Amino acid sequence: MKLTRTVDWRVVLGLGAAFLAGTGPLNPASAQPAPAAPSASNAALPRLPDGHPDLQGLWLKSGGGFQGLFIGSLEGTNFAAGGGRGGGPPTPQYEYTPGAAAERAYRQQHGYEDPEGRCHLPGVPRALDQPAGLYPVQIVQDENYVALLHEAMHDVRIIPTDNSKHPRNYSAWSGDSRGRWEGDTFVVDVSNFNGRTWLDMAGNFVDENEHVLERFSLTDPNTILYEATVTDPTVFVKPVAFRFTLKRVPAAQQILEYSCLEGERSRQHFTEEDGGTKRRVVR
Amino acid sequence: MSSTRVARHAVRSIVLAAVAATVAFTAVAQTAKDATSFSPGRLWDGKTPDFRGIWQARGSAYVNLEGHPGEKGIAASASIIVDPPDGKIPYRPEALARRDENYRARGTADPALKCYQAGVPRATYLGTPLQILQSPGNFAIAYQDNHAFRVFHTDDRPHFDAADWWMGDTRYRWEGDTLIADVVALTDQLWLDQAGNFHSTEFHVVERYRMTGPDALEYEARIEDPVVYSRPWTLRAVLQRVKQRGARIIEDECLDDENGVRHHVSPYDPRNLLKTDYSRWKKP
Repeated sequence: MKLTRTVDWRVVLGLGAAFLAGTGPLNPASAQPAPAAPSASNAALPRLPDGHPDLQGLWLKSGGGFQGLFIGSLEGTNFAAGGGRGGGPPTPQYEYTPGAAAERAYRQQHGYEDPEGRCHLPGVPRALDQPAGLYPVQIVQDENYVALLHEAMHDVRIIPTDNSKHPRNYSAWSGDSRGRWEGDTFVVDVSNFNGRTWLDMAGNFVDENEHVLERFSLTDPNTILYEATVTDPTVFVKPVAFRFTLKRVPAAQQILEYSCLEGERSRQHFTEEDGGTKRRVVR
Repeated sequence: MSSTRVARHAVRSIVLAAVAATVAFTAVAQTAKDATSFSPGRLWDGKTPDFRGIWQARGSAYVNLEGHPGEKGIAASASIIVDPPDGKIPYRPEALARRDENYRARGTADPALKCYQAGVPRATYLGTPLQILQSPGNFAIAYQDNHAFRVFHTDDRPHFDAADWWMGDTRYRWEGDTLIADVVALTDQLWLDQAGNFHSTEFHVVERYRMTGPDALEYEARIEDPVVYSRPWTLRAVLQRVKQRGARIIEDECLDDENGVRHHVSPYDPRNLLKTDYSRWKKP
């Protein structure tokens, strides 16, 4: 079946199997963040005693998309947007401010400055936007928090569900996350970033003004739709939308350990220091 | 072997009796039985003991498990090794020599100085908080220190023991209200404290978590490693609940200084914030 550009995501989700089979490119620009639509299928979702959907389990990003690894050379080919075999999530569309565009071009040519390459926390939404099928996330949940335990970089986000306020004078690699339930969707407001993270390996980036609104929707017992809207007025002309699915990992598999810093062997290849006070010229 | 075990249990019983007696004398409001029979709350399944919360070890055993006289800014600590009774780690002679070597080099050789994950059991008594995440059938600990975490797996399946990890592979079961965790697959590059106490890849830890009061979590680790120690030994620490309203564990990440030395930089430290150099953006 062919999905048109004016696709209604609620319809797509209803046809989850067709979507996962990768039936064609989807244009993210036309896909507005849709509230989790109450439907008959929602009744079948696993729930905690507080009535909220049970997001717990081990989850793995599905579909194509390669964290911008190929985008530098294949930009415009719509490869990651589902043009490849098996389809994939839509590519985020970045529209940079003029100054930020130059900075992005610089970073694209200096990929070794990517702090994730130095084992730093990836930030949001990159923590979830890891290469599909590689690093799972374990979710543990109760009435007070939804905890995301990411295998990659052993990154932990314990997100309160009380929609509490962001702290003052706090700036972190992963920002500060405050969540709330909107119907069956877990909505997370992420702020207080420290301006050091990149969005992918291809030089797409944010600065300290980044703000993310995430939406986690359990669309069937084995699928979470993840949507993130990244705004950063100094970097982007308009918000950047991320959208992909997480699939439940079979119970026979477990999360493994990702020790990064402990086995780090490549810093000697880095010619510039990122995050430090010294910045040497590349030769 | 069995006589050793009997002797050890006897010693433990004596220690427990002593603890119980102390509690009975000092905590007037509490009944005499509480140290051993506190009944924790339950999760919503009505069954699983509820250990959720933020916990923190007090004291400075992280400096040296065998105790230390204290130094500027750090209080003295008694040994937290409850077995053997002398409070010393029962090293094999050649291993003891290496420990002493580690001790002399501790200013630079401690892997924790490189912002590595602390391992098991060290992460528990570091003195930085940890958070127990729990729901029926799930148990995980997020440690503030270097954002390490462990997902505890039930012991109905064998260990994943194919790699040397920094936080190990954990299988657990409940024995009454005590959680018993079996931990293997730990790398030999870990230290147990800042004093160079160490182990090999034959390291095997059996942890026991037990609430002894609404705000006290007793942690016990029975440790064996036939390559390094002449017999199993046991340490015990008490974690206190962090009760401040709104308390949470915060992100703990390190930054390199200009000499390549890593330092923990708190999110509350203005140095963690990298304000964008917009002047650079103007000159492509």
